[in-house]
Amino acid sequence: MRDIFFDLSVRSVRLNFMRSLLASIGIVIGVVAISSMGMLGANMQLSVKQQLSSDVNTVMISSDVVRTTSTAGTPSTSQGVTKSQLNDIKNAAGTNVVIPIHRTNTQFTIGSTNGRGSIYGFEPNDIEKFLTLSTGDIPRGANDAVVGSNIATNFNLVVGSRIKIGPPNTEDRPTVRVSGILPARGFASDGINTDNAIFVPDTWYTNQYGNKDVYDQVNVIVKNVDTIGDVETAIDEKVNRKTQVIRIADASSRLTSITQTLGTITTFILAIGGISLVVAAVSIFNVMMMSVTERVHEIGILLSIGTEKGEVRRMFLYEAFILGLIGSVVGGICSLVIGYSVVSAMIGNTAYFFMPDSIMYVPYGMVIGIVVCVISGLYPAWKASNMDPIDALRSE
Amino acid sequence: MDRCKAEEEMKGLEMSENPLIRLLDVSKVYHLESGDFTALNHVSLDIMENEFVAIMGPSGSGKSTMMNQLGILDVPTTGELHIDGRNVAKMTPLERTHMRRDTIGYVFQKFYLIPLLSAYENVEYPLILRYKHRDTSGKAAAVLKSVGFDEEMSSHRPNQLSGGQQQRVAIARALVNDPKIILCDEPTGNLDRKTGIQIMDLLVDLHQKGKTVILVTHDPKIAEYAHRTIQLDDGRVVAS
Repeated sequence: MRDIFFDLSVRSVRLNFMRSLLASIGIVIGVVAISSMGMLGANMQLSVKQQLSSDVNTVMISSDVVRTTSTAGTPSTSQGVTKSQLNDIKNAAGTNVVIPIHRTNTQFTIGSTNGRGSIYGFEPNDIEKFLTLSTGDIPRGANDAVVGSNIATNFNLVVGSRIKIGPPNTEDRPTVRVSGILPARGFASDGINTDNAIFVPDTWYTNQYGNKDVYDQVNVIVKNVDTIGDVETAIDEKVNRKTQVIRIADASSRLTSITQTLGTITTFILAIGGISLVVAAVSIFNVMMMSVTERVHEIGILLSIGTEKGEVRRMFLYEAFILGLIGSVVGGICSLVIGYSVVSAMIGNTAYFFMPDSIMYVPYGMVIGIVVCVISGLYPAWKASNMDPIDALRSE
Repeated sequence: MDRCKAEEEMKGLEMSENPLIRLLDVSKVYHLESGDFTALNHVSLDIMENEFVAIMGPSGSGKSTMMNQLGILDVPTTGELHIDGRNVAKMTPLERTHMRRDTIGYVFQKFYLIPLLSAYENVEYPLILRYKHRDTSGKAAAVLKSVGFDEEMSSHRPNQLSGGQQQRVAIARALVNDPKIILCDEPTGNLDRKTGIQIMDLLVDLHQKGKTVILVTHDPKIAEYAHRTIQLDDGRVVAS
């Protein structure tokens, strides 16, 4: 059976239905404002983060060249990232994708035309983990290669074209066959500038250039960009245990800066939504004060027949809670509809709308709505419970 | 009047040793802008258990103030008020609330039922206050029946009941926690003569069942139901 004070509160709300409804509408507006604005901000952040993540979710690891410089001032050749360091990196990276890369610059000849560019040695299956071919396929044979868009365009390359690798006038230059062509990528923050590059299988590369178990660069593609710092720390602690032997870098600071800016904007628009909730709080306070004033005589009766002050307080706080609950539930439902429309209209993409980071603003707004209502009811409830029963009975 | 003198006066009244209610040199002074107003002026009296007492007096004589004191809705400015052996001034506000709930049943002239509750719920309400849960024992219904209230009307709200029905509900509400004292402030004041007699018969019946009944009235015919009449004038007991 329900608490009689809750029953009294429900009946009071019913008795003053229109007034209660109007007060609750204030809460509805407040909850909708907070939830919708919050969801808009969250969707903006998620959308931007997703767009930037493809670019900034890569940790670039290379040998610490500065440390390999001799004290005499003569630069020594970097040893690159060793096989054992690569294993440590893989262990530290966990389930994230680790791509070891060989790289050098080379001259090449296509037909009778000479050129210059970068040549990368990859495990062929790694190529598709971060690049998408526009034509052809990844290298399947030992002498297959994928070429960047600039080389393909400038030298009119198609799948099946042949490229001689190495300086002109060199005898027995190895030849690779173009198996695929990459689209234009432009400047890439993961250090792999593909447009003027030739990608060959790592076995082909090490046969030609040696350094079988030494890599010029290792990229770690992080699945969740938010964990990039943790991954870097784990790699640093694993590999740079005694002395710094590798350098770790990423482009996440750009993402951090943008998401921080968006976070500030979200907070700002949430604050604007919060203003409407403050207005609603004043409205609830006013309604509760009216309720107390209208029920002074009833409060006098309750107190005179032995109702404790705490019980009177509880009755009015229940009333505030009920107003908040009604407003928040209706507001929560409206938030889903209005929030979806706002996100759709302003961002043009609702793919992230039902994600936890976005949808959490609905219960969040509802809880704030209820809490604001109960807080608004504190003073009226306190006032009611501290009335002098004699004065209250006389007020008829 | 000092305290010793009041105590001597009490002895002179030849009261029993353990009164249910004892007022000892009680004064109540209201501090108004126009000056202090003494509503009760050094009142001393005892009311024994199972007495039927009528308090009479002209308007402004202090009857309502006396009822507020006896109902522990207020405390004396000076003097001591003992109810059921306890000094009211030394009780905490919560203890006074509990005494109002458990020891005293208040019947008002204008019934003062809780408008949002049904007749049954109004009677059940003090039980809920005391036991912190809804009545499952059937006591509320039994008390309501005992005061002659039509059971079919028990789900009606107070504004759907006649004056006599409302007063029966109010008496049932006052009785439901089995209090020792029934305070009645002009219980027939808002009722026609016939209904008033029925209500007074109810109070007589309650007295016969062992309750201490104290009623305030202007009507000498109503006061005749009591076994003792306390006459107040200008805040003093002039006859008892």
